[in-house]
Amino acid sequence: MAESFTLPLRSIPEKRDRPDTLPVEIAQINNQWGSFREVNEDVLRNKIAEEEEKDGLEEVEESDQDAADLDSTERLEQLYKRRAEITQFAMQAHMETMFALDFVSLLLSKQAPRQAETSMSAFLKQVAPLGSLNAEVVHPPPKPESTTKDVSAVSRGWRIQNFNAAANKLLQAASRLETEVASETRYWNEVLAVKDKGWKVSRLPIERQSLGVQYGFIEAAPVFRDRGLASLRRAEDGALSLDEGLIPPKARFVRVRVIQDGRLSGSSKPMRSSFNGDGTIEDRILQARDTVYEDELFHELVREARAIASFGVTTRQNLIQIPASDNLEILLDLVDTDEDTSEHEHSISQQGISIAEGLAHTIRILLAYAHRQNLRRRTQLPLPLTPKTRPVPEHQLIRPALAYIKHMSQVRWLQSLLEDLFGVLKSAGLEPPAYTARIFSTGMQSHSSPAPAVENLVGQFLTPLLSTFNGKILTPRGSFSIAIHTNLSSPPFGTTFEVSFNMPKYPDLESPGKLSHREEVEAAITHLLLLDVVFTISSDSSLKHECDRDPAKRTWEAIYPQHGELLIPTPKSNSGKRKKMKIVLSRHELSLEIYTVRCIDGTGRGNWEMPSYHSMPHTWKPSPIAGPPKPPSLMDFVSKMSRS
Amino acid sequence: MHEQSLFASVPVHQHHELLQQLAGLTAMQPRHCLERRLIFKAYRKPGMAGRIGASQDLQQGDLQRLNKMLNGNMYYTQVVGPVSESDFGSTAPIDRDTQMAGMDDSKPYDSSSPSYDYERQPWKLEFRDIPEAGTRSAVTSRLMSSATLPRGDVVEAMNAWGYHFITEYVVEGDMFVLNDIAIFLHRVLHYPGGDESSLPRRQLPALKDMTLFEKSGSYVLQAFIIVQDGSNQETMKTASQHLFGLREQLKSAVLLEQADRLSLDTRAK
Repeated sequence: MAESFTLPLRSIPEKRDRPDTLPVEIAQINNQWGSFREVNEDVLRNKIAEEEEKDGLEEVEESDQDAADLDSTERLEQLYKRRAEITQFAMQAHMETMFALDFVSLLLSKQAPRQAETSMSAFLKQVAPLGSLNAEVVHPPPKPESTTKDVSAVSRGWRIQNFNAAANKLLQAASRLETEVASETRYWNEVLAVKDKGWKVSRLPIERQSLGVQYGFIEAAPVFRDRGLASLRRAEDGALSLDEGLIPPKARFVRVRVIQDGRLSGSSKPMRSSFNGDGTIEDRILQARDTVYEDELFHELVREARAIASFGVTTRQNLIQIPASDNLEILLDLVDTDEDTSEHEHSISQQGISIAEGLAHTIRILLAYAHRQNLRRRTQLPLPLTPKTRPVPEHQLIRPALAYIKHMSQVRWLQSLLEDLFGVLKSAGLEPPAYTARIFSTGMQSHSSPAPAVENLVGQFLTPLLSTFNGKILTPRGSFSIAIHTNLSSPPFGTTFEVSFNMPKYPDLESPGKLSHREEVEAAITHLLLLDVVFTISSDSSLKHECDRDPAKRTWEAIYPQHGELLIPTPKSNSGKRKKMKIVLSRHELSLEIYTVRCIDGTGRGNWEMPSYHSMPHTWKPSPIAGPPKPPSLMDFVSKMSRS
Repeated sequence: MHEQSLFASVPVHQHHELLQQLAGLTAMQPRHCLERRLIFKAYRKPGMAGRIGASQDLQQGDLQRLNKMLNGNMYYTQVVGPVSESDFGSTAPIDRDTQMAGMDDSKPYDSSSPSYDYERQPWKLEFRDIPEAGTRSAVTSRLMSSATLPRGDVVEAMNAWGYHFITEYVVEGDMFVLNDIAIFLHRVLHYPGGDESSLPRRQLPALKDMTLFEKSGSYVLQAFIIVQDGSNQETMKTASQHLFGLREQLKSAVLLEQADRLSLDTRAK
């Protein structure tokens, strides 16, 4: 541009060929201001003061105008007034033009009446006959030379003045255009940068003349889908600004807090740290996207929480409380990212944080999965139209995570129960075979479905959870299996334990089947193991061998195995006293008592039953430390008892 | 159920552009569809019409209805089976070899190539009535019904219900869904070598050998809504309004309009 030809717009100031002579100027001053005689300092001061006052007044007026500008109603009034003025001017101009036209037409009607008639107004035609006005060239008397000179000087001055004004206007317009071009260039460059980053830039549907960027999620619920579009406005200097409308520009996120034993033990952190208004446009868009995602997440969480109120989930205006498992409670709320979360630092535990972070990620992944499912549902052939609107099902966000937590807690409980019981048995010198645990046995199956691998992976998480425990017991060919089902997405809700036994010795022993309470499960397993211990004692092969050799030795016979009672059958002759053993197995200990009973089948109680000389019950407990005074094993004790 | 639809003709040069426009409008990728369509014609089984035996316990109304059923109009119906692109020009599966002996001996079998198994082809019976006459609304509205059929050979079952196999063709197109509206941009393909067969083909020729029914290769755009209860004026109105909305949206691209009623006549003369 610089090298191109430039055209000066302002007229070149030219030197006056003949400067005004002093007498002329003096005459002018005399004319304008009066005689020099009357000029003194006071007059001049007054004059200056007057002029300043006038300027000041104008300024005041201008500032008043500025203030009025701010007032919108007055501004509107002013606008109307100005418009009326403009119309008035236009009308006047129109009228004058019409007069001129009439005049010229009347004048011409002398020469060309037919032609001039067409442009005459009806009124003029009525009032003045055609050709009633004529014009002739009149030769004016020659003007004196000084007058013509004056006229030419004045017209020249006028022309120069007008040229200058026009040049100023043009230059102003040029500079205005220049800044405008610069800011437009900046704006479009930034828009292009946004587009190059992969954001969808399009025209706004409501405001067709402005650009918008789409950052939301198409598959979200309509409210949030429509929020995912913000217009890209141009600031005065061309900088790009994101206009999200009425939505507060604050970044928010769904915070997950974990309460363990009534104390806060973990809290999730925002994914992206917020910034304070000075981020790049990319950051602003990302933040807007995150916020709309988090808002939708919380909205869906609340919707789901209401649907699963039967699990004890309570919702308040901005808080969801979920009792997850025994001592674990989860709080979900929507908070600003810059909110101070460093409260109660003392009770934060690594485990609590990992639960909170894990849960925070889980619900977000599940919402993304729900979006994909929405797309899948939306692109299916639509169902027939009915008058009823189909309700939108709640997304599964809390339920799978809650099922997982509940399931894990049940599995841990069962593991600790089995460990305790097997520990008790081990401390009594019995060697129970190990059991196998398959936790989340459903998740392993892979079926080929057309959905992408990611969806299959998440989809498996939504199926009911299953863990199985299988184990053998001391009884040959005996076994037990426990399957833990947890299902929160379809009835029956909650966790069920499916316990089944296989005891060849007691074929009429029925498996308890589906149980839903821990106490029942504990009782069932303890009972099974008690039967197992009783059977082991009664069928102890070493004892049998010994008693084959030594008739004084007797074998124990399980008389009421379900009560853990055994009896030594004595020969008929000795019909008096018998020895009875009672075994009690619990989670914490195995105890054994020997009684002497009189009746034949050993059923007698009360008077008939007397504690034997060994009235103290013998107990085995798993000791945390393998202490040196190790008690004799159960089998040793039993064989000792049977001998005496 | 009722089907309300609007049609438009799409010349082949506009096809690609329209696909893009529709993908943008519906915010989804087009779902490519290939469908085998078998046409069956109903016939009166000899001795069935007019004879109403053992009708003592039938009420008068039932009798009339039965008469109407037996002596009413006969219709053509379609049996539609979705196929995939790899089914075309493929061989029958090996394990069907023995059963299909004599069907196509000349073709060498190749175990690695994808195979088309006619015996496992799913089918759907689709009935369409002649569009309703004298409706004031500017959409084509017709009674329709569809039912899933057992997989495999349908001719026998259809014969038992009183339908002859007439001919078959293939429809190729793309499906879009916009809320309640399904938009199907499709064209009809014929099998090469005419319709000498009196039974549905057990194997499909290569897709590129299929001939276009409409020589210019132009497509038909059908936008339709299925209404559960055609007697409910409210829903019928909603459906046609949705269709009009779509017509407005697509106005600059294609002109959706009502189809000629008689050209969609499915009655068997």
